[in-house]
Amino acid sequence: MIQKSSKFILISASVIVSTLLFVIPLVAASIYSFKGNQGKGYSFANYLWLMHQDGFFQSLVTTLKLAILAGALNLILMVPTMVFLNLKGAKFKPLVDFLCILPLIIPVVSLAIGAQVSMPSILQNTEYELVFFYVVISLPFTFRALDNALQAVSLNTLVEASRNLGATWFRTIVKVIVPSIKSGIFSAMFLTFALSIGEYTITSLLHWDTFSTWTVVAGQQNILGAIAISIFSFVGAIALLTIIALFSNKSKKLIEVKE
Amino acid sequence: MTKESLRESSTLELVKVSRNFGSVKALDRLNLNVKPGELVALLGPSGCGKTTALRIVAGLESATSGDLFVNQVRYNETPANMRDMGMVFQSYSLFPNLTVTENIEYGLRARKVDPSLRAKQVTKMLELVALGNKAKSFPHQLSGGQQQRVALARALAIEPRVLLLDEPLSALDAQVRKQIREEIRSIQLNLGITTLFVTHDQEEAMAIADRVGVMNHGRLEQIDKPTSLYNDPRTPFVASFVGQANKIPATMRNKGKVQVLNQKINVSEKDSHFPEGKNLNVIVRPESIELASENDPESTNGLVAIKSFLGPLTKLGIAVEGTPLIHLSISSKEVRKFNIGDKISFKISSEEVMVENV
Repeated sequence: MIQKSSKFILISASVIVSTLLFVIPLVAASIYSFKGNQGKGYSFANYLWLMHQDGFFQSLVTTLKLAILAGALNLILMVPTMVFLNLKGAKFKPLVDFLCILPLIIPVVSLAIGAQVSMPSILQNTEYELVFFYVVISLPFTFRALDNALQAVSLNTLVEASRNLGATWFRTIVKVIVPSIKSGIFSAMFLTFALSIGEYTITSLLHWDTFSTWTVVAGQQNILGAIAISIFSFVGAIALLTIIALFSNKSKKLIEVKE
Repeated sequence: MTKESLRESSTLELVKVSRNFGSVKALDRLNLNVKPGELVALLGPSGCGKTTALRIVAGLESATSGDLFVNQVRYNETPANMRDMGMVFQSYSLFPNLTVTENIEYGLRARKVDPSLRAKQVTKMLELVALGNKAKSFPHQLSGGQQQRVALARALAIEPRVLLLDEPLSALDAQVRKQIREEIRSIQLNLGITTLFVTHDQEEAMAIADRVGVMNHGRLEQIDKPTSLYNDPRTPFVASFVGQANKIPATMRNKGKVQVLNQKINVSEKDSHFPEGKNLNVIVRPESIELASENDPESTNGLVAIKSFLGPLTKLGIAVEGTPLIHLSISSKEVRKFNIGDKISFKISSEEVMVENV
């Protein structure tokens, strides 16, 4: 009985706190984002204003392009690395784990300036250099997502079964490992994607224009427009997370073994 | 039954194969010869090296020294994916993202087998393991027994030179285990495929193997037909590992006899070298002990400590002073009158016994 009432109190407190800190501000911001000129009436004016601003589509396209490239590069780099670490290189795993956490420890300013200096000159003058920064800052999350997915499957046995049946390493990775850790790959890809879209500090320090830097500049001109930008970004992020959840659940169902 | 495999049965030979893991010797100069179409079971306790031996044959582990031959061709350096060996794992290890059909044809696709031949082979394998109605199911939709049948079909689909079974039944419940082991044996005989089967379950090994190799500490203690292994064990380890065995304290007497309880019994010829007066353990199977009259000078008295009814037979555990519990396996009719705590007389019925050092 006591346990039941304490559970009720805990749930009620969570609902109240999340309503106060999350739901009310979000609903209020959403309502404000639809306010008409001079705060009168409701319309899509702020969203239309947003889309007609200089650089909106350009920065959005640039950001999406960089985010997709970062997601792809991250997977190309990390999937084989994590498979190797889980299959043969267990003793190197703590070291790689440590290296992957570094972006969380090193101040972003040091990371941006230091890496910029060591970046090949051919990349220093293009916005594509950001792809490498985005990959670096997403490493801590990619490492965890892929490692969890690999730990959830009997990697060694699956690889041995595949090799025993005559498959090459390439075929084993493509046909067996990648599909088995699909949920982890999707998580890693979308986390990199989301981080790349939202990344501001490095982009700003290196003087590149992406959607995140554009929103700061555009938001300074119109307060209701700024709120519309926030809601637009928020809905985009929620959509991404929903896609991750859907794919993760589908993949999980495949690897569940009937008891 | 006619042989249905397209490939000729192969020979498998391990010559002085050793495998060290650091300072641990997992395999110690193992010699093994499997004839074409033969099913050999490697039996032993955990850590005896049986799985290591199987993995070396599969190419999943490399030998520290020694040679592996298949059809007299040295296979030491051949990578696992080029060995043409079908392996069934303890944990099924079906590919979770592929259907039953896709799992079975996986090895054929890797070999770039023509699609029409591939489909034919898959249908044949599905029929062989009686899972035609599950062709489109995913592994998680199947029971443990069905998953292991798919794993067997997948291993057989490539028409392997040697079939390797790594404790394939240990994850299954008792009833399914019996059924699948009979199916495995029937399919193996039908296809005439050379098979190496690793298990720690002696009943399983004895039931389906042509020969059983008992391993201990990385070495093959004895390899023989199941009946010979049981009736004529060559080492005390084999005697105590295969079937149940009592170890009763005894003392060596002259002329190759041993004093055990109130009896003097001949020891096997190979054990007759022990000096007189040496304290030993006599190894006696439960069925080699019989009830005796109290007046028989050779009988020993004890108290019934355990009584386990096993259908036609009943197992008794008899407490005798100065010895561990002595187990007897006798007709249930004969022991009906005895209850726990009752006095009982018995004697060893074997004419010859095996002994081991204390």
